[in-house]
Parts: sequence; structure tokens; C-alpha cells
Amino acid sequence: MSDWQRLDPRVLLIGPVEAARQLVVPAVIAMVGIGSQQPRALLLLTPLFVIGAVVLGVIPWLTTRFRIEDERLLVHTGLLNRKQLTAPIERVRSVDLEATVLHRLLSLRKVLVGTGVDDGRIELDSLSVAQAQDLRERLLGSRPAAVPATAEDGLDASSVGLHESTALPAAPAPVVLARLDPRWARFAPFSLARLAVVAGLVGAIWQFDLPVEETGQDVWNWAVQASIWLVGIGLALGLISLWCVGSALSYLVSWWDLRLAREHGNLTLTRGLFTTTSTTVEEDRIRGVELQEPVLLRMVRGAELKSLVTGLDEGVYPVLPQCPVAFARDVGSQVLDDGGAGLSAPLAQHGRFARRRGHVRAQWMTTGWLLPLAVAGVLVDVIGAGWAVVAVLAGAGLGVLVGEMSYAHLGHALTGTHLVVGRGALTRIRTVLARRGVIGWTMRQSLFQRRHDLVTLTATTAAGNEFVALRDVDRAIAVALIREVSPTLGRWDLAAAVSSRR
Amino acid sequence: MSTLPEPRHRVSEQAVRMWRMTAWLSTAVSLIVIAGLYLFLPWWSWWAWVIAALVLIADVAYALLSPCLRYRVHRWEVTDEAVYARTGWLNVEVAIAPLSRVQTVDVEQGAIMRLYGLASVTVTTASSAGSISIDGLDAATAREVVAHLTTVTAASEGDAT
Repeated sequence: MSDWQRLDPRVLLIGPVEAARQLVVPAVIAMVGIGSQQPRALLLLTPLFVIGAVVLGVIPWLTTRFRIEDERLLVHTGLLNRKQLTAPIERVRSVDLEATVLHRLLSLRKVLVGTGVDDGRIELDSLSVAQAQDLRERLLGSRPAAVPATAEDGLDASSVGLHESTALPAAPAPVVLARLDPRWARFAPFSLARLAVVAGLVGAIWQFDLPVEETGQDVWNWAVQASIWLVGIGLALGLISLWCVGSALSYLVSWWDLRLAREHGNLTLTRGLFTTTSTTVEEDRIRGVELQEPVLLRMVRGAELKSLVTGLDEGVYPVLPQCPVAFARDVGSQVLDDGGAGLSAPLAQHGRFARRRGHVRAQWMTTGWLLPLAVAGVLVDVIGAGWAVVAVLAGAGLGVLVGEMSYAHLGHALTGTHLVVGRGALTRIRTVLARRGVIGWTMRQSLFQRRHDLVTLTATTAAGNEFVALRDVDRAIAVALIREVSPTLGRWDLAAAVSSRR
Repeated sequence: MSTLPEPRHRVSEQAVRMWRMTAWLSTAVSLIVIAGLYLFLPWWSWWAWVIAALVLIADVAYALLSPCLRYRVHRWEVTDEAVYARTGWLNVEVAIAPLSRVQTVDVEQGAIMRLYGLASVTVTTASSAGSISIDGLDAATAREVVAHLTTVTAASEGDAT
């Protein structure tokens, strides 16, 4: 691919439509403003708007060129502000192919190239499917093939082994790790993260429901006449069933046709019913996985799986939607390639002091908020003393439950290749982080932890949220973990100091 | 009762003087602010005196105690393998960054630091949670540390993630 390539000509159809969509709001405002005074101007403005949209839509096709040269991806773009983007191929960390419904009708794909720079990815909107896949192959898949080329050039005897190993058939069959089972949509109502999406949808529908004044009055009169309780129960049932159906639908729309596959050293995730997304990440960039079981999902034995990746915009990258926990474990183990050790290892718990601290932490809500509020409420006579006591006791009871859960979820384990950290109170989270992905440590000891010689050990990493914290672990155990995972650091007590001592 | 493992070096003794000076400066600023409020606010009641007194007492206590405490608890060490730093008195924190994972080494010398011949060294890794800074180093030591760090980290391969 040494010649300059252009975007696919079919983008000429999409470009104006998208440009028109961006222009439509200012254009309508302008037309209403001008048209109300000089109606004849509209005759002039409408064609202007159409022409403007067409021109704006065509510019990207005219001005964007890209090529691969000297192991670099070069992209030239822009009309007035010419931009020349260069990305060394070895720095390319992810390639996403996206398609809206419009793109799919024309078999086009938008290509997003992530290079590990935090701000932004290189965007090519759009290429034909074949062109896009070819580009992705060249950016990510060609890496092993590049080795024999240099080996031949260098005539290095020691690189012959490399040559042989990479001269294997170019495209081994992709291994499919997961596909969507539509029955998993049953887990969707138990994941509240989707609540915001569905609530927004309901809100949007609500706005179209215009005759609020009269029907609202009627409904109110009727509700007052009927039993309040009955209406309340009916409303709750209605909302719950709406929630169940809505969340399941939204789940299916975003995860339809899910396919997680491993293909020459890359992990590719494809999904989506209307807008399809295909994300490809180099497996070398994956530093571990995280299994999350929010409390509601845990009751129905569901879980979510994320992977921890370096060099992506957001380091936590979803691998599986809400699905059966056993399946998530299975896929996670394949992603980790550790034979299931990390996700099934029993966790070493942190002992009775850690438990006590978990309980104390869980009671902060009760002692810090509920108790003062209840006392104040009784003093100014808003609630009765009996109810205040009940509220405080209920809060304390809930706190006991949360404290106990946070202790049960807390723990750690060390497998041959990974550090395993369990944490979370309501959500049970198990993070499995590759030992080689740990790029530093901090040990923090608060005044209260000092009494029992507990520390909070944090492993820092370039992937995911950039750190994994292990709470309330015995200091000796923490030091042992550091020494085991980062053996070169073990000498810190007797280390030869390099700089002059003052 | 044992504490966390201790890095070997203390920071420069000059740092104590600098910390003391900046602490007194901030006490002076508090005093000026309080005086300004007293002069220009239309009302001033007994509890305003209480708040002002508490602020000043806290400031003075900080200026008297914190420089020595900081000097006692701040420790650092750079070996061929890693950078270590310990900070904090009530909440102690030890940070460790293996040199093979260090991405940048910065030296900073503000105006006040220059007055006392001090500098601070900040070492960052690919994790935003993993940067280590050592405040109150003697400027010459800081230069030595940076020279050592840059030679060692330049020798390590990969992108340190």
C-alpha cells in the first residue's frame, strides 16, 4: 500500500446527509429569523443550505488521503487547515470499525485508529468494508509478518528461528471465544447502569404525549376516587414491566450479533444491531480482566466482564455484557490464557481486623448522617422518637450487611502469572492483573490501620483504571506480595545507595 | 510496632528552613485576611473571634511543628532498580517505582526553593496513580539523582507499560 488512497467514493452520499444534519438546527433558526421578515429570502436560502451541505459533505473526500509508508500510517486531511497525521504502525494499539445504519446500507465502515495518545484517534470516515478490513489487517495483523522481512535484511543467524515461527500460514483460523445468546437479555433488568438510557428514552416519549392538561386532570380525579394503594401498585408494576422490556430491548440493540474472536494476536469484538462496532485490540496490550457482579445481578448469577488494556482511550474495555457468571469466568480465563487460575483462585481473606474496619466503614452512613438527622428530626418534632429509633436501627442493620459483604469480597491471591484482587461492597469485583502489568506500588497506612499493622496496598498499572487497590492487608503480607511480583525490588532494605548521603 | 520499610535518605536540612518560612508566610497571610475582615466587615461578633483564634492557633501550630515532623518522616532512596519515597506522618505512604517502568523524570526549582538551594524531583510512570515526587532535595543531589535515573531508564527497553 504505497500509493495514496482516498476515502470510498460512496462517502459522497453520506457526507452531505451528515453535514445537513449538523447544519439543520442553525439553518432552521436562520430561516425562521430571516423568513419571518423577508419571506422571499427563503427561496434563496433553501438552495444555499442544500449546496452548503453538499459542499461540506464532499470536502472530506476531496481532501483526505492516506497511505502506509516506511512502517508508518500517513493521513493528510483538511482543506484550509491542512493536517498531516503520522502514526508508526508499531504504536497502533487498536483499530475500531464503526458503521451507522447509513454506513451499513452502503457497506462502508468508519475506521478509528488508536495510537495510545490520550487525546483522540485517527479517524477515516469512511472506507469500503474490504478497504477497511485490509487497512486493519495491515495496521494490526501485519506485525508478525514484518519480522521475517527484517530478518532477511539483517541476515542474522539468530533470527532464523523467528523467521520460521512467523512464516506459518498467514491467517490461522480465528478462534471465536463468545457469541451472544439472546436469552442473556434476561439479565438486563438487573443492571441499573442501563437505567439512565431507558429513563432518557421514556422521557423523550413522554414529551410527545402532549394532551397533558386535560388527561392529567382526569387521571388525577380518577386516582383520588380509586384507592391510592391500588393506583400506586399498578403504577409500580407498570414501571417495572416497562423497565424490564425497555432494558432487555436496549441490551439486545447494543449487543446484538456479539462476536468475540481471537485472530493472529488480536482480540476483536463486534456488536450492535443498528450501529455496529468492531473493536480490535492487540492481545499484547491486555494486562488483565475484571469480573464485576453488582448486587442485583449477583442474585440471578449474572456478571459482566471487562478487560484492562493499555493505550486505549478508556482503559477498561467491555468484553461481555451481563451474562451468566460461569460463562464470563470461562471467557475471561481464555482471554487471560491462564487455564482459569486467576478467576477461580480462592482468595486469602484479610482477617478479623480488616473485617472490623469494613464494618466501621459501613456504619459511617448511620453514625455520620442518619443518627444526627434522626436526633435533629426528633428535636424539631418532625418525626416521632419511635420512628427515629426504627430508622437508625434499620440503617445500622443495612450497614452490618454491607460491612459483612465488603469483608467477604475482600481478598487476594497470586497465581503463576497474575495478581488477583477481590474488593467491593455491593458490587463484587475481582481484578486479575498480569504480574508484568504491575508498574509500581504504593503502601498507605492510616493512623487507624497502624494499630493492627494493616496497609492499603496499591499496584499501579498502565491499564484499566491505572491502579488496583487491596485494602487492609497485613503489612508483612503486602511486602511479601511486592517482593513476589516484583522480585527486583526485594533488596530495598540493603540496597546500595547511589547518590551521596547527606 | 514496626512501620513500613524505610528508604534510606532524608531530604536536605535546608528544607526544614524553607518549610518553616513558607508556613510563617501563610500564617502572616491568614493574619492579614483576618485583619482585613475585622476592619471592613460591618459586623463582628464573639464567634468571629473564636474562628479567627482557631485559624491562627492552627497556623502557628503547623508552622512550629510540621517542618520538623516532615523532615523526620520524608525519606527517599534511589537504587539501580527503583525509586522509593516515604511521606506522611499520620497517614504514612511509601511509593515504589521500578526504574524499568519510569517514563519521565522532572526537576522543579521554584523561586523559594532556589533561595534555599533546593529542588524537587518527580518521577512518573505510565500510571497516573504511580508518580513519585521527592520534595526538598538539595539541588546538587537532585541533579545527581536525575543523571542517574536518566542513564538507567534510557537503558531499559519497551514502552514501560
